[in-house]
Amino acid sequence: MSEVSTATAGRTLSVRGLGKSYGTGADENWIIRNLDLEVPPGEFVSIVGPSGVGKTTLLRSLSGLVPPTEGGVFIDGDELRAPHPEIGVVFQDYSRSLLPWMTTVENVAFPLQGKGVGKAERLGIAERNLAAVGLGGKGNLYAWEMSGGMQQRVAIARALAYDSKILLMDEPFASVDAQTRLDLEDLVVDLHTNLGVTIILVTHDIDEAVYLADRVVVIAERPAHVVDEIHTGFGSHRDQVETRSDPRFAEARGRILTLLRSGVAAITQSVAQP
Amino acid sequence: MKSRTQQTSPERGRRSSRRQAAARGSKAAVVVRRIVAIALLLVLWQVAVLTGIAPGLTPRVDRVALALIEILGRADFWLALLQTVSAALTGVAIATVVGVTIGLLVGSIPAAGRAVGLILDFGRSFPTIALLPVLILVIGANWRMEVLVVSLAAVWPILVQSLYGAQQMTSAASEMTRSYRIPPLLKFRRVLLPSALPMISTGIRIAVAISILVAVGVEVLSQTPGLGRLITLAQGGGRWDLAFAYLFLIGCFGWGVTALLARAEGRLLRWNRLGEK
Repeated sequence: MSEVSTATAGRTLSVRGLGKSYGTGADENWIIRNLDLEVPPGEFVSIVGPSGVGKTTLLRSLSGLVPPTEGGVFIDGDELRAPHPEIGVVFQDYSRSLLPWMTTVENVAFPLQGKGVGKAERLGIAERNLAAVGLGGKGNLYAWEMSGGMQQRVAIARALAYDSKILLMDEPFASVDAQTRLDLEDLVVDLHTNLGVTIILVTHDIDEAVYLADRVVVIAERPAHVVDEIHTGFGSHRDQVETRSDPRFAEARGRILTLLRSGVAAITQSVAQP
Repeated sequence: MKSRTQQTSPERGRRSSRRQAAARGSKAAVVVRRIVAIALLLVLWQVAVLTGIAPGLTPRVDRVALALIEILGRADFWLALLQTVSAALTGVAIATVVGVTIGLLVGSIPAAGRAVGLILDFGRSFPTIALLPVLILVIGANWRMEVLVVSLAAVWPILVQSLYGAQQMTSAASEMTRSYRIPPLLKFRRVLLPSALPMISTGIRIAVAISILVAVGVEVLSQTPGLGRLITLAQGGGRWDLAFAYLFLIGCFGWGVTALLARAEGRLLRWNRLGEK
């Protein structure tokens, strides 16, 4: 168990021909189909797509929470069949994913208890990871004593303390106010730079997707599949004002917006004739 | 982030202290109103007896009060109280272990929860006391039989509440435990049980009230030693003042236990109350 985990040997996550459907026969409803994606260690990928496209289902598949109907998710070539000990998930619904009867530090340490880490050690790890997300010394608070932004920081600290090599984030900043959102975005960028973890973040917010990621993967409906990939090329440095006024930011943003707004027909065309 | 918490915390502190002061004020008012209500009831009772409105055998309030003092000095009362209370609480303890375990297990499996609905409704409305003749035949009119009847009656509210309690675990919490690979036993202890605890504690409170009722009832019907037996003995001897005094003491005891449980619940489930604001 490392300190504030510095991912040394990262993991490659690959998605091959992923399909997920509900129902059978004529009622079979494909949420995701033929989705391919390869995320090397340490990359920050954001997955952007319109609301209801199946982003959450995709993330649940990536985390091993739901089994795929077709194809599969592979970690270093091994098929993922259940939640993986090196994948941490930050849920959208942070207020419910934190347990109200535990203090913050207990919440962060809880997954480590499941891993069999001793009490003193896991509380120490939890405290260090809380400090890493800017909540040093707040370990004795309960979730309901914190703002939404602070609660989401706790959820991030929990994923880090779990010693995740891959962090999956499902619309993590969807329900916090604008200023807090910017703070959290920069926190995640810093954590990514400092710790070298792989981050896969799902969002419907194009600006957020472009600002945060090394690579933006655009998915479209339905069934959800990858329609475009954009390398942002900002390097490890981000600044809320500077980056957002960078011409590459505007270009990426425009390209994604056009893709998503032009609907399915245009998307299939653009895929057919790149 | 830091400056915001500094701004809000003193404000929150002031608001909550004002709320506490208001709560203290209204609490005192409630106590006064309760005392007035009890006093009124006693006056009505006394008037009803003196004017002859009440049935002939009803004792006067002052006689009951005297009987009360007499009882408190008698060893057989304290022994009977111990027998009744120990039977009631042992029954509740057994019912809690059985009810919580089964309730949580069944409640955490959705299909099972739906399947047992009918059995629960049946069990809940089954008059356990009707089993008494059979149980007296099989076990005899003794403490063990009384405990069994109490636990049979008290298990249902606890079971039902635990079952609903287990369903209180949010899907977000269960996704979290799955994705962080929390082992089943740890999940049961640290996630399922606490999320069901508010419901379970309500079930236990209902069960305690039932247990005293049933314990006394069993003693009255089967002459098992305890307060119920003392009541029938007092009635048999024409000492209605004593019988009423026993009833009064049983009521006080029930109230005391419930108040104690409510306090324990308030402390144990502090997160639950505060989280709801």
